[in-house]
Amino acid sequence: MTRPAPLPVAEGTYPPTEDMLNEPVTSEEQDRGKAELRAAWKTPQGWRYISAVNNTEVGVWYALTAFGFMLLAGLLALAMRVQLAFPGNTFLDADRFNQFFTMHGSAMMFLFAVPMFEAISILLLPAFLGARDMPFPRLSAYGYWCFLIGGCFVMGSLLFDAGPKAGWFMYPPLATKEEGVGPDIWLLGLSFIEVASIAAAVELIVGALKCRPPGMRVNIMPLYAWYVTVVGGMILFAFPPLIAGDFLFELQRSFDWPFFDPERGGDPILWQHLFWIFGHPEVYIVFLPSIAIAAMIVPTVARRPIVGYSWIVLSAVGTGFLSFGLWVHHMFTTGLPQMSLGFFSAASEAVVIPTGIQLFAFIATLMVGRVKMTLPMLWIAGALAIFVAGGLTGVMLAIVPFNWQAHDTYFIVAHLHYTLFGGMVFPVIAGVYYFYPFFAKKLLSERLGRWAFWLIFTGFNVTFLPMHLTGLMGMPRRVFTYPESAGWGTLNLISTLGAFVIAAGFAVFVYDMLRPKSRQGQIPRNPWGAGTLEFAHDIPEEAWGVRSVPYITSRYPLWDQTDLVARMDAGRYYLADAPDHQRETIITSVIDAKPIYVQRVTGPAWITIWAAIFTGGAFIFPTFHIYKPAIVCGAFAVVCVMYWLWTSTARPPKDEMRAAGLGLRLPNYVSGPDAVGWWGMWITMLGDATAFASIVFGFFFYWTARPDFPPVDAGHAVGTWVAAAAVLGVLAWAATLLAREVNRRGKVMLARLALVIAPLSAAAAGGAAWLAVRDLDPVSHVYPAILWALMVWLTVHLCAGIIMQCYCLAGCIFGKVTPRHDADLRNVTLYWHFVALKVVVTTALLGLVPGWLP
Amino acid sequence: MTRITENEDAREFRSEAGSLWRITFGPLIWAVHFAASYGATALICAKGGTGFVEGLRLGIGIGTGVALVAIAWLGWQSWRQWDLLRDRDWENDQGTGEDRHQFLGHAAFLLAVISFIGVSYVALPVLLIGTCR
Amino acid sequence: MTRRTWPLRAWTLVALAGVLLLSACGEGRQSVLNPSGRDALLLYDLARVMFVGALVLWLLVGGLFVYVTRINPREMSRRLAEGLIVGGGVLFPVVLLGGLLVYSLPLMQAPREADEGLRVHITAEQWWWRVEYELPDGGRVTSANELRLPVGARTGLVLNAHRVIHAFWVPALGGKADMIPGRETYLSLLPEAAGTYRGQCAEFCGASHALMAFETVAMAPADFEAWLAAEAQDAAAPQGEDATRGAQVFAREGCGGCHTVRGTQAVGQVGPDLTHVGSRLSLGAGILGVEAPDFASWIAHTETLKPEVAMPSYDHLPPDDLTALAAYLGGLE
Repeated sequence: MTRPAPLPVAEGTYPPTEDMLNEPVTSEEQDRGKAELRAAWKTPQGWRYISAVNNTEVGVWYALTAFGFMLLAGLLALAMRVQLAFPGNTFLDADRFNQFFTMHGSAMMFLFAVPMFEAISILLLPAFLGARDMPFPRLSAYGYWCFLIGGCFVMGSLLFDAGPKAGWFMYPPLATKEEGVGPDIWLLGLSFIEVASIAAAVELIVGALKCRPPGMRVNIMPLYAWYVTVVGGMILFAFPPLIAGDFLFELQRSFDWPFFDPERGGDPILWQHLFWIFGHPEVYIVFLPSIAIAAMIVPTVARRPIVGYSWIVLSAVGTGFLSFGLWVHHMFTTGLPQMSLGFFSAASEAVVIPTGIQLFAFIATLMVGRVKMTLPMLWIAGALAIFVAGGLTGVMLAIVPFNWQAHDTYFIVAHLHYTLFGGMVFPVIAGVYYFYPFFAKKLLSERLGRWAFWLIFTGFNVTFLPMHLTGLMGMPRRVFTYPESAGWGTLNLISTLGAFVIAAGFAVFVYDMLRPKSRQGQIPRNPWGAGTLEFAHDIPEEAWGVRSVPYITSRYPLWDQTDLVARMDAGRYYLADAPDHQRETIITSVIDAKPIYVQRVTGPAWITIWAAIFTGGAFIFPTFHIYKPAIVCGAFAVVCVMYWLWTSTARPPKDEMRAAGLGLRLPNYVSGPDAVGWWGMWITMLGDATAFASIVFGFFFYWTARPDFPPVDAGHAVGTWVAAAAVLGVLAWAATLLAREVNRRGKVMLARLALVIAPLSAAAAGGAAWLAVRDLDPVSHVYPAILWALMVWLTVHLCAGIIMQCYCLAGCIFGKVTPRHDADLRNVTLYWHFVALKVVVTTALLGLVPGWLP
Repeated sequence: MTRITENEDAREFRSEAGSLWRITFGPLIWAVHFAASYGATALICAKGGTGFVEGLRLGIGIGTGVALVAIAWLGWQSWRQWDLLRDRDWENDQGTGEDRHQFLGHAAFLLAVISFIGVSYVALPVLLIGTCR
Repeated sequence: MTRRTWPLRAWTLVALAGVLLLSACGEGRQSVLNPSGRDALLLYDLARVMFVGALVLWLLVGGLFVYVTRINPREMSRRLAEGLIVGGGVLFPVVLLGGLLVYSLPLMQAPREADEGLRVHITAEQWWWRVEYELPDGGRVTSANELRLPVGARTGLVLNAHRVIHAFWVPALGGKADMIPGRETYLSLLPEAAGTYRGQCAEFCGASHALMAFETVAMAPADFEAWLAAEAQDAAAPQGEDATRGAQVFAREGCGGCHTVRGTQAVGQVGPDLTHVGSRLSLGAGILGVEAPDFASWIAHTETLKPEVAMPSYDHLPPDDLTALAAYLGGLE
């Protein structure tokens, strides 16, 4: 058989010449393009509306849902403030208070802050980048439905008085010993949402890297896109340790494997490490996107390009790195060696520097510009005042001896609210005011906006400024009551009054957003005079995102590139039509944003909702220790996802090439590292590998922290079976790799044979891993328990790998995967590289390491 | 006119490999230094006993020196790539290959600065505290 | 100034008012701002230095912002702006934060120092404190919910917890340390002046986390020796009719199954040792006094006074029995 011809690559003129750009587009061409695009991007009407997957729809739902959860969590806070207004108050009893503060923190973090970042980014990122949509719209929709189901489940538990009540940090042994389903709801419900968050992060990273318009090199992409990339990366490395922790935690709660039980060799401190390795980057995951909003608003207000673009990029990247070296500053009182505490104290101070650089870059931009204060800028100013105060108390708290006094007091409550209101809530509201014309095509009221600002700003300070003092006067956090003799009554009463002022401010804000604005008429297209692409949007609204995908040569194209908007509107640029009535967007290279191919973008679908419902079932049923329906739901979820992938991704195209406009012809299909799917897989696997590394960290943590790990008389994994698992696992990987290579060379039958051998040997590897630990009792001690946990983790990944191999085999047989169109096979091989790594590490830990430990 | 090649991404990554390594390595050296210092301290304080503390401090001290030299070298390389003194271009805000190249140098240089500060700070406790207690 | 600038001025006023409050609020027996221990005094100095520094920096940054946006919103020199990023964003904080680290890192050592003097083992229970004084001969004197320390000497506290994580904290004497099941943590305190300071559990430990406090009494060394010697004695025999009947009720109701009263048949280890409960300053881990009505009310209403506490409410006891029990326990001095 001959070697198949390679796939075509882009051909034609690039970059476009000035002459080409000046050439007018005929009005027939314009009308045709518009009609085709409207047909392709039509939003489903009526009850079918919820099947929409377009980023502008899903983004708005996502943001509104997150905002709704925020309001609910705020109501919980108000109830707590009422309870604490007077010493010995009885408005809430201890049990309900504890549920409320647990849920307030959990909801604000998991149901508001992180989802809000994702919502705003899904909504805005394509517009910043002049893209039509996110690269994987159905994944966003799936993530949204997962979030909605999980969020309602977790929040709803309060209605049945069954909410978790061990704090949003869920420290064992308190949370492992807690009766009832509360902690299970927290662990499984939020794990479910974390999975959705990671999915969104993957999509956002791919979006920022691969969906930029032609010409938008890395040095001119909007700062928001930089932040999205950094924050997405942080989510990828921060959430997996928590998911690994949840995994161990739920194994202990459901099956009594003693990971955190000191009487059987476990250690509650391991949870604290895993939780805070997630928890501290989480703070920056919340903070950086909000700073990114400020980075979009400040240049507009200054009417100058940002000063120190590279400095801000550096700060974002630097903060991203350093934030992973701070987690122990939440654990300064746990009795770690002084030197260890010192490392984290020093790193916590070091992270101040990039944060400071970002703020000074903003001030520098305002200095060189002619500042015109607008309502969004007022909120940014408030954010700055509050955040700087929170940052300065943060500097204090990073000092270990001071932290020993202030830790777990109201001083911390004050500090964290200063950082989160200043670093998240205020910038996000500023963003709502700033971007409202973009996504609602209306303006918010200047007068109501000022009212809301002053109410929230004043209320905030009245509430939280006194708490610094309450804390230093000795009031611990998370107390449902306090004695009158403590002398904290007045300060608490002031805080409670302030809380109601904040609530009034939010009421004004919500009213302003929701009130009908039909009398407003058509608003100006670029009301703030911004320089970035999102304000090239269409008014009245069009669902196509951008009329044509522009060629970009500047950081502020609306300021610097003359005629840009007119040319975009005329359809002078790329993808100005949709001849097949298919949704498409242009995919470019990562560094220089050269156009590579045209990506088919998926359209409205119900399958994503079904997939989310079944995934929800797979997570929610185990909460109540109902496992069979959970397994059935899990299977259905897998089927739904497979169906959606099979029918709408990486299908061999009808035409190989597409005339993209401006004399450029682009392929419709690519495979391997040029394709977004490959990047999605690669990035997901980094996160997955991090979760695995966290469990491996657990293994070594037990070894350093516990003298009885492994216990002297411990049974070990069976060497022969461990070796068998290693060999078979590597064989499965090799067969997959072989399939990719021979398929590419056109030897289809051989590829199919390899794809039959691969899943068989993967299944055998899983079986061998199970046989290796079968005789150990995971309930007896943490050593057998962690070996079992590693085995379970590996087996689950082998199962997923088997499904993928079978998917490719089916693709080979039914013509979805051909020697030229092998994207699926390449992505699956990439997955298997990581599985092979897991096989090697797991079998080494099972079979070799216990013998080496001194 | 620029050519768009097969495996365009791979080509671009190859041509900027030096800058990308420098961007990654600055913070990565910080991370490795940090993790190694923390890990070694945890291990020696838990298993080694007080006799090894001086050795630990010396080891971390040497590691810090090596890390600082490596970061300084990266910083120097990136400074040259940024090329500030020649063209006085602080922003590198043009959509050209040259500005992209210098921007990557600028970012790498600044990351080297931050990493240098980070490593120096993290070494302070070893200098000032001599005990596992 | 225009109308628009007043809020920022108001902000400054709020901050200043805060500082004033800070200096006025040094009251309270559980306050960081009213330090009496050596470590707490050092930390108080550190805190004051940092507060003043933070306030100055906040005013500088805020002032700069107001200047560039309100007072002088015109274009300024680009070099100045770039200089601001380098100077304000890098050079200044590097020096300042480095100095702060050099100043503060050595302050960690004192509370972790190995003590020459007394050692006290404290185990946190849900929700009370088991306190054991280690005698030079290795024996232990058991008490509960109260810590007594000699003034002018460093006492080492060996901390542990039974079921869940708690944290030990006496703000007036020093920082806090977690108490973790399966681990031992260590903290030492050095009271500088005699007095009574309130401590409280600082790590969330379940339903009654808010109701887990204790008194710390710093005493002159001679007084402390005398007190410890008395504390080591067995319980006093009941005096008077009420107290004698109270001892019978105590035995009849099986109180000794959980509580120890040394010198009697009550040897339970589940609840606090009551041998000298009458001489303590508080009841129920710092939530009630030690007058007779307090005892009666506590015994009859434990579950109301302390949600989810292990000890059941003895509200079925007739008032007479409660009075008698109160007399007996109050007499255990």
